[in-house]
Amino acid sequence: MDTSQLLKGVLDLAVLAVLRKDDGYGYDVVRRLRAGGLNDVGDASVYGTLRRLYNAGMLTSYVVPSEEGPHRKYYSINETGRARLAESRETWRSFASTLDGLLEEVAA
Amino acid sequence: MNTQALGVEHYLAGMRAALDDLPPNEVAEIMEDVEAHVAELSTELGANESVEQRLGPPEQYARELRQAAGYPPRTERLPVTTKKQFLSRPRAAAWGLAGGTGVTLLAGAAALREPAVLLLPVVILVLSLALVNDRGPTQQEIMNLPETVRLKKWLTPEPGTPAERAITYLRSLQPAWWLVRAGLLGLGAVLLAGRDIFGFLAIAAVAVVSVFAGPRAKADRRWLWFSLPASALAVGLLFQVIDVTAGQLGYNASRSSYPAPMMETYENIYAYDENGKLLTNVLLYDQDGNPINASRQYYGCRTGDPEPVIPANRYPRPKIDYENGTCYTVTPSATAPSSAPASSAPPSSSPPSSGQPSSGQPSSGQPSSGSTPSSSVPPTSVSPSK
Repeated sequence: MDTSQLLKGVLDLAVLAVLRKDDGYGYDVVRRLRAGGLNDVGDASVYGTLRRLYNAGMLTSYVVPSEEGPHRKYYSINETGRARLAESRETWRSFASTLDGLLEEVAA
Repeated sequence: MNTQALGVEHYLAGMRAALDDLPPNEVAEIMEDVEAHVAELSTELGANESVEQRLGPPEQYARELRQAAGYPPRTERLPVTTKKQFLSRPRAAAWGLAGGTGVTLLAGAAALREPAVLLLPVVILVLSLALVNDRGPTQQEIMNLPETVRLKKWLTPEPGTPAERAITYLRSLQPAWWLVRAGLLGLGAVLLAGRDIFGFLAIAAVAVVSVFAGPRAKADRRWLWFSLPASALAVGLLFQVIDVTAGQLGYNASRSSYPAPMMETYENIYAYDENGKLLTNVLLYDQDGNPINASRQYYGCRTGDPEPVIPANRYPRPKIDYENGTCYTVTPSATAPSSAPASSAPPSSSPPSSGQPSSGQPSSGQPSSGSTPSSSVPPTSVSPSK
């Protein structure tokens, strides 16, 4: 099964999760997701997701000047984002266990 | 390296084109992310790898990003916006910034005389910033103007060239300049303090804010609308302070060129009577009865004696013969008066008395001691203790 289709629905959750502890700029977030096992995540999708979460008021951003190359825009999660993360996690868990249950029945 | 930089620019241009139907401030925000992304990614690329190989064509990247960000799919641009507008808001703002900075420099050079002239650049700058304030901190549209690109290329020469090293060095001085700038502005404010309270407050405020504006402008280009004119104002004030100081120095110099009290360099005076005879023990006074003393330091005959051993205005002064320890008057010789050039008018060959043939020996009246070739007169010895 193509995981990229699955990923679309949960990328918000994944991005919020990797920003939970440390702020990060776009490529940072991409690397963290890949390090966490989401190898198929597309760069552009992550950047788009960051913009959407930002526009939805769940992230704030600040620019850090860089000596060489363009400045880096860091994103950090705010209270709204944390609330959404907690809520989405519950949704995901119940969804995942529901699906697990269904798959168990199939296997049985 | 250079071809890769070109590749990056090309890729970003493709991205911008694929996003240009979105609101400009949103595009600016996206491009801020994407520029850093592509730049960082290009450093990881192998020799024969291109950005497109990693990320796919820019149009595809843009499509994927739009989808994830929840933007509507690409709509066709209206023909009006496809045509490059000559007078766009970013261009007007950029030229407003340049012009405002130039006017600030001129106004700064006159600000101490008439602080109100600073209002003119302020109006220009505020209006030009208002045109692009909503376009985000990177002001990408201004950075993409052909004139800005040319300026940027000019300011970033090939690595390794002297020009590049010079610019790198100047960049390293930037934080120091921010402090110097604040200092100059503070000085300007202080110079205005007594005369114009509004000018003082305005320039003092600029001085304080300028300390923060330098580093801020690195992250948010909109601060350039403050930082650049602040630098221009500081330089203008510096010009004016130099101008005023130079004027005062010139005034002082012209005053000091008035005849200063003449420096007398003679250390002894020889008086002759009309017959060319050297007079001894002559006391000289001016019209007020003050003794006329040769200005050169006069040492008594015997060190350790209470001074003055003899009146300092008694001429000719005796000289010490250090070898014998005796004091005696020495007639002027060609070498004795230090200030007179030996050849031109040595008193020994032509004493100032009139009617005397120049060849006449001044010491002819005196028994000349044969031992010394120059006519040194022995003794008239003066006892130091009177």
